[in-house]
Amino acid sequence: MASEVKAQRPRTLFEKVWANHEVRPQTKDLPAVLYIDLHLVHEVTSPQAFSELRARGLKVRRPTQTLATMDHSTPTTPRNDQGIIPVLDMQAAAQLDVMRKNAADFGIPLFDLGTANQGIVHVIGPEQGLTQPGMTIVCGDSHTSTHGAFGALAFGIGTSEVAHVLATQCLIQNKPKTMAIRVDGRLGPGVTAKDIILAIIAKIGVGGGTGYVVEYMGEAIRSLSMEGRMTICNMSIEGGARAGMVAPDDTTFEYIAGRPAAPKGEAWDRAVAQWRELPTDEGATFDAEVTLDANELEPMITYGTNPGMGMPITGYIPDPDQERDPSKKLALDKALRYMDLRPNEPLLGKKIDVVFVGSCTNSRISDLREAARMIQGRKVAEGVRMMVVPGSQQVKRQAEAEGLHEIFKAAGAEWREAGCSMCIAMNGDQLQPGQYAVSTSNRNFEGRQGKGGRTFLASPLTAVATAINGVITDPREMMEMAY
Amino acid sequence: MTRHRVWVYGDDVNTDVIFPGKYTYTLKTPAELAAHALEDLDPAFAAGVRPGDIIVAGRNWGCGSSREQAVTALKHAGVNILIAESFSGLYFRNCINQGVLPLVIAGLRNLVQTGDEIEVDLEAGIVVAAGQQFAVPTLSPSVRAILDAGGLVPMLQARFAAGASS
Repeated sequence: MASEVKAQRPRTLFEKVWANHEVRPQTKDLPAVLYIDLHLVHEVTSPQAFSELRARGLKVRRPTQTLATMDHSTPTTPRNDQGIIPVLDMQAAAQLDVMRKNAADFGIPLFDLGTANQGIVHVIGPEQGLTQPGMTIVCGDSHTSTHGAFGALAFGIGTSEVAHVLATQCLIQNKPKTMAIRVDGRLGPGVTAKDIILAIIAKIGVGGGTGYVVEYMGEAIRSLSMEGRMTICNMSIEGGARAGMVAPDDTTFEYIAGRPAAPKGEAWDRAVAQWRELPTDEGATFDAEVTLDANELEPMITYGTNPGMGMPITGYIPDPDQERDPSKKLALDKALRYMDLRPNEPLLGKKIDVVFVGSCTNSRISDLREAARMIQGRKVAEGVRMMVVPGSQQVKRQAEAEGLHEIFKAAGAEWREAGCSMCIAMNGDQLQPGQYAVSTSNRNFEGRQGKGGRTFLASPLTAVATAINGVITDPREMMEMAY
Repeated sequence: MTRHRVWVYGDDVNTDVIFPGKYTYTLKTPAELAAHALEDLDPAFAAGVRPGDIIVAGRNWGCGSSREQAVTALKHAGVNILIAESFSGLYFRNCINQGVLPLVIAGLRNLVQTGDEIEVDLEAGIVVAAGQQFAVPTLSPSVRAILDAGGLVPMLQARFAAGASS
């Protein structure tokens, strides 16, 4: 078997994972049938899929390879005296009940609201050790690309496809093209994984990755923790890519080892040996390549209404009149009107109303540690609301064990329950019309965080520095003071 | 050849402005979905759209979320064809899976304005806009099969019913 593998032409990480899951290879006329190892489910995109199964008398093909959680419409308000997280919205409560019924009827494990393992779907998969190298992972959620940080092929699907995977554990797929994004060099102080991915999207644009699976590589990517790699892969979809991947290495294996669903004993050794075969072979080629120099990166921030409208935090808002492409000029003009910003002005010093630290992009323990370290001994500026929303109950417990919640509360920030919260503003956590927010989430679309709300996307460090000053702040200034 | 009114939009129109996330669990009926289609992009759309109308857009239509309501809201509003310079991958797949036809045609959108009419002949594979003729991209047999069945799940059910193994 080993010699057979070696005899093949050099292959990319993606090509290996793809080939290992082809139930039926792609032909000229027919797409491939791809086997799915792990199907994650949440309350928002699954109800219609379960309804379809019921209406058509279909069963779930592999309930044990399916895991459900609740995250989008769950409240993140603190627990009441009885330790219960109150669901105020009757429609949200009804939707959570539907998720419970569907999980029970179809025999799918569920991390229910208020239970120990509940959290954002893209936080809990890795946390449980369910997300593993070489797997195919899908979820009715575009940020499923997060799991690619482990060398899995992970991507979002629509609700029809959720039904298809529930019924068959397979998907019909055309093989995507491959793109290598190489980030060489080392990040400077105050520059993080979030800044890398915002810089990548600013470079390739929100449609630049369409049709591709991206592999992130290079020294700066290898140096990141698993949580940093997840932040990068998470926003692959914001560049239009089908998925993002990072080759598994010792950092990956150390993260997975000992987690509840991780292989144990001899099975672990066998798994690691297989995972070591996954990285892209020497000499393998990609359909497209992009390079960035980490040494040149600064903290990034968005100024517009899509994640590609980003710039270094010390930069100046672009001028639509300098844009030669008429449709880009139109889009920029429209974005600046929505944001009520003027061209050629800096964002540094811009007054903001809300700071949101959370979402599947930046709500893991390392994000909260970074945020806490910066805010310790300082205060959230008067008139600014700062929310800290851990990605899962487990992250919340860990943070509380380390006393991070006390640091946030002492600074005047809100410490909340786990969920998607103000990233998508479906659960009542939302901006008021006209408010400005610096958010560690992934989308700055019009109305995303509340109708009329205006979002600047940035790293947790930039978000915290901004909360302290009440105006958009370069986190490096605050780090010089702190260290 | 059939005549269709068009609604014309720009680049990078995202799913949040096509169908806001907050409605994905509060609105369920076709009429409710249709009533909020494009709410944050074009408030005139939901009230003015008529069955058979076509959306004409720029690059990367439907970027963002995987939510399929961003397709079904338009479908329930009577839009069965979208024409764009390009689509996001997820949105394109969701269209096919819902039996809505996404056509990638370059160079058309600058020739028309909202309210204009274009002509479509799918049998002949042509679209005519402002006197210019455009070729409709050929659909692969598998995509054709899903569209003919009315979507992905109806196709799957038909195959299960027929006892097919794949």
